[in-house]
Amino acid sequence: DKRLSSCLSFVHCFKKVEWGKKMTSRGQLKAALHYTVSCMCQRVAEQHQREFNRQLVAAITETAYRQCDIFAKDLEAFARHGKRSTVSTEDVKLLARRSTALVSFVHIQNKLEVLTQEQKDKKKSAGKKKSKDTEDSTQ
Amino acid sequence: MFLFQETVGKLLSSFFKEDKTKLGGDAVLLMAEMLKVFVQEAAMRTLKQAESEDCDQVDIEHFEKILPQLLLDF
Repeated sequence: DKRLSSCLSFVHCFKKVEWGKKMTSRGQLKAALHYTVSCMCQRVAEQHQREFNRQLVAAITETAYRQCDIFAKDLEAFARHGKRSTVSTEDVKLLARRSTALVSFVHIQNKLEVLTQEQKDKKKSAGKKKSKDTEDSTQ
Repeated sequence: MFLFQETVGKLLSSFFKEDKTKLGGDAVLLMAEMLKVFVQEAAMRTLKQAESEDCDQVDIEHFEKILPQLLLDF
């Protein structure tokens, strides 16, 4: 029957699109990651007069992608342990302590300090702005 | 590099097991940094491996050799 077959093919297409959507967004994220990875690899290669072949860059992307999975699960576990549903910088700090690559650990610690200081500064200026607003509103 | 931070945030979120788990803004920034370090380490160590073997072309073989230690270090 024509109508039945066209209905079936429509449902089939719809299903394909739904499935396609979910797969594509993971794929899109991986592709976006790949873009940054290849930029970074190219820079390193150029600085040392070498070439990274495409297979290698893809492998690094894949590894970074899988590492994200591991990081995410650990971060979620740390947050849950702290009875929070939002992953905080404390959780990231805990994640980074495993790194024996001292350079990266120190780098991240410094970044954390810079961010914490920026947060404090933001709060200070936000506090000032708030008191000014309440003054204006009472007038 | 704002695109990268956004990518990292969405990527990490996609791997959470529970729907209620969210990623704080500052945590995303730090994780983006951490991932950049990870990729940088991977690239540099691979390159150093190729150099130590006197190879002009940096290959997946060089990456495979440094991968175990890289994963242990992170």
